[in-house]
Amino acid sequence: MKAALWALTLLLVACKVEPRPRPPGVLFVSVEQQSAWVRNFNPLFAGAGSRWPTRAGVYECLEIFSPAVGQWTPWLATGHAWSEDRRTLRFTLREGVRWSDGKPFSAHDVAFTFQLLKQHAALDAGGVWRFVEDVRAEDAHTVAFQFSRVYIPGFAELAQQPIVARHVWEKVADPVTFTNPEPVGTGPFTEVTLFRNQVYELGRNPHYWQPGKPAVSALRFLAFPTNDQANLALVEGEVDWAGNFVPAVDRTFVARDPEHHGRWFPLYGSTVFLYPNTTLPPLNDVRVRKALSMALDRERLVEIAMYGYTRPADATALNDAYTAWRDAEAAQGAWVKHDLEAAKRLLDEAGLKEGPDGLRRKADGQPLTLDIEVVGGWSDWVRAGQVVARDLRKLGVQSQLRTYEFGAWYARLQKGEFQLAISWSLDGPTPYTFYKWQISPRTVRPVGEVAAANWHRFGDAEADELLTRFERADSEEEQRALMAAVQRRYSETAPSIPLFPNPSWGESNTKRFTGFPTAQNPYARLSPHAEPDSLLVLTALTPREP
Amino acid sequence: MAYVLRRLGFYLLAAWASLTLNFVIPRLAPGDPASAMFARFEGRVQPEAMVALRAAFGFTDAPWYIQYGTYLKHLFRGDLGLSYAYYPARVSEVIGTGLVWTLGLAGCAVIISFTVGCMLGVLAAWNRGGWLDATVAPALAFLGAFPYFWLAMLALYLFGFGLGWFPLRHAYSHDLEPALSFTFAADVARHAFLPGASIVMATLGGWMLSMRNTMVATLGTDTLRLAHAKGLPPRQVMLRYAARNALLPNVTGFGMALGFVLSGSLLTEIVFSYPGTGYLLILAVRNQDYPLMQGLFLTITFAVLAANFAVDLLCLWLDPRTRAHA
Repeated sequence: MKAALWALTLLLVACKVEPRPRPPGVLFVSVEQQSAWVRNFNPLFAGAGSRWPTRAGVYECLEIFSPAVGQWTPWLATGHAWSEDRRTLRFTLREGVRWSDGKPFSAHDVAFTFQLLKQHAALDAGGVWRFVEDVRAEDAHTVAFQFSRVYIPGFAELAQQPIVARHVWEKVADPVTFTNPEPVGTGPFTEVTLFRNQVYELGRNPHYWQPGKPAVSALRFLAFPTNDQANLALVEGEVDWAGNFVPAVDRTFVARDPEHHGRWFPLYGSTVFLYPNTTLPPLNDVRVRKALSMALDRERLVEIAMYGYTRPADATALNDAYTAWRDAEAAQGAWVKHDLEAAKRLLDEAGLKEGPDGLRRKADGQPLTLDIEVVGGWSDWVRAGQVVARDLRKLGVQSQLRTYEFGAWYARLQKGEFQLAISWSLDGPTPYTFYKWQISPRTVRPVGEVAAANWHRFGDAEADELLTRFERADSEEEQRALMAAVQRRYSETAPSIPLFPNPSWGESNTKRFTGFPTAQNPYARLSPHAEPDSLLVLTALTPREP
Repeated sequence: MAYVLRRLGFYLLAAWASLTLNFVIPRLAPGDPASAMFARFEGRVQPEAMVALRAAFGFTDAPWYIQYGTYLKHLFRGDLGLSYAYYPARVSEVIGTGLVWTLGLAGCAVIISFTVGCMLGVLAAWNRGGWLDATVAPALAFLGAFPYFWLAMLALYLFGFGLGWFPLRHAYSHDLEPALSFTFAADVARHAFLPGASIVMATLGGWMLSMRNTMVATLGTDTLRLAHAKGLPPRQVMLRYAARNALLPNVTGFGMALGFVLSGSLLTEIVFSYPGTGYLLILAVRNQDYPLMQGLFLTITFAVLAANFAVDLLCLWLDPRTRAHA
């Protein structure tokens, strides 16, 4: 009797069920890794765990920048213009755009969105009200921003802000904690057709402003809590578009179906650095920083830590999204090339002599020890840290890798209570943000006080003056010249030690959909994480005829 | 009755202690959630927004006893606060998405493992040195030595990925509507089979061995000799006399094991993308999501305490001696 029951149960569960056919035109996307979905479509609060693609898919921004082509694409705005004195920025809005509830979109919605950011500082992630004085709808299709000072990079911050509907959000009591379960947006996918803890689906916006778009009928998201699970689904061909880190991607994913499986990992992610705490001698000496940098074998480092998916950083530390800005002369800086002998000579010059035991000694005769801090679970950085520690020991510097739990690591980093640490950097549409947080004295905080970046606490007046001029420069020529000078100054002073630019992970499966960006057709980044250029992809994809 | 009340008092005390620990421990940890959240946006949020973020989460520098008071007050209202990682979702909602699956999976697995393990133990002791005793017991002990998640990964690879007998993830197929139908129930069973079986496999050996050993000791007692001498049927002697007496230590162990199973099933869930609370806990720790962490720990603690209380009541029924004392 019992045996029969067992047999029956086994039969019930072990019969191999054929997969049910997939609904046509439904794009399976794997972006976020969650074990269960929580219904939140709030596009304004960056701290909200809102579902992808809330900020670029349900909602849209005025203009979109894609780094691969270095171009701004007009979106909800058809264009923008500065006033003579560069204190007013006007956006001309597209006509005939509707919200997904059918109501017309206008300049009042844009003005209202930015007013919300003013009333609720937590929503102002880009900090636009630091340089904006006022925003007004001049007519239904013109919105004007009054600047409190000339600040050209501010355009990018304003252009990429998701815009919400006034008639919906003026009734919302607290836009910070509003989960917006039934979003009303201007984007291509606004209808929540299905929401369960393991799967949710977004359908087309019935009133989308681009005729005939989107060609994809719906987006479907399965919950994958881990990278392994997400990669399994990708390899099995269940997912059409993903932004996962896949080890040995060419062998495990592309080779399984070379005709359809594609991947593109351009180096558009933020550059990863080894940050020296420049408040601690001898790290305040540029020769020492350059010596540490020259001791590193970055070729091996990217091979071991990043599976060869990236390249060693050059002396500008810029990632490939800024290729057009890179100054050839600054990039040539020899201090990021592996040269152990030159590194040793630099340390000799800096007065860190080699003792009889082969260890470098500080002025007081103590051996120089520098520990590297990383986050325990972040295996790529842990591997990088191990390579760095080994290379520094070759230089005669006692160096250990110390792993911390994220919170502890980040607290130490922010307060400047470390010797060497591996961490990321900040990015924007131009290298301005990046360098401001690497080298500007305006971003230096005293040790013990929390700093949001510039953890190495380095300021250089000359570079800062160039950056300030950049804020006021509006001709491309002038901007390029100033940024080149900043790069040369960065390379001279070596405030931080760049390791490698991070790839932006993107995988596509063209079995069911075509039109993904590729290295040959880089109209946007392939990584769905890349907002807002994911909007360009969502509206370009077309289902294959079954 | 007095015994029951005494036990209940003890559990209430334990609950209070866990509440308090739950309040204290996260506050002793370094770092703060706004920073953790900021880090998730690697460079996409301007640093100036940090101050505003902290304000949005309502970080107070109020003295600890005021915070503790607020914490208790909210707790009694069932309000566990807002999750940071899933901000602004309520913690109770976030936990609600996964709790039923975790309790279902871990609960069923523990009960199956306990019952089957004890039965096997009884049979192994009754036929000492038989084939069951000689082969199954060591094999299960061997399996039990592996970590849960490793067995889970092995099962996933062999039966899910390799042979394709079972689904690779989730609690049910994403294209099925949850409904009270045979199709849906079968689908849930198919999805739960591998994660459940890997928990059962990892724990079965322990139950079997401890049951067998206590049972062997019981078999040597005078009670059993008398029972045999009275000429009772062997089956009745085995179950009514030997097994019932030998079960006691195992039942006590059952209550203790629940906590371990809950934490072990967390790992299994993560391997199978089972939408339970396991992954939530990891995410909460990663993002320093104190409210979610506290909510999860409390849920787990209370589940274990409640189960232990139930076990106490069961012992009362199994063991006449406790009744005599009470």
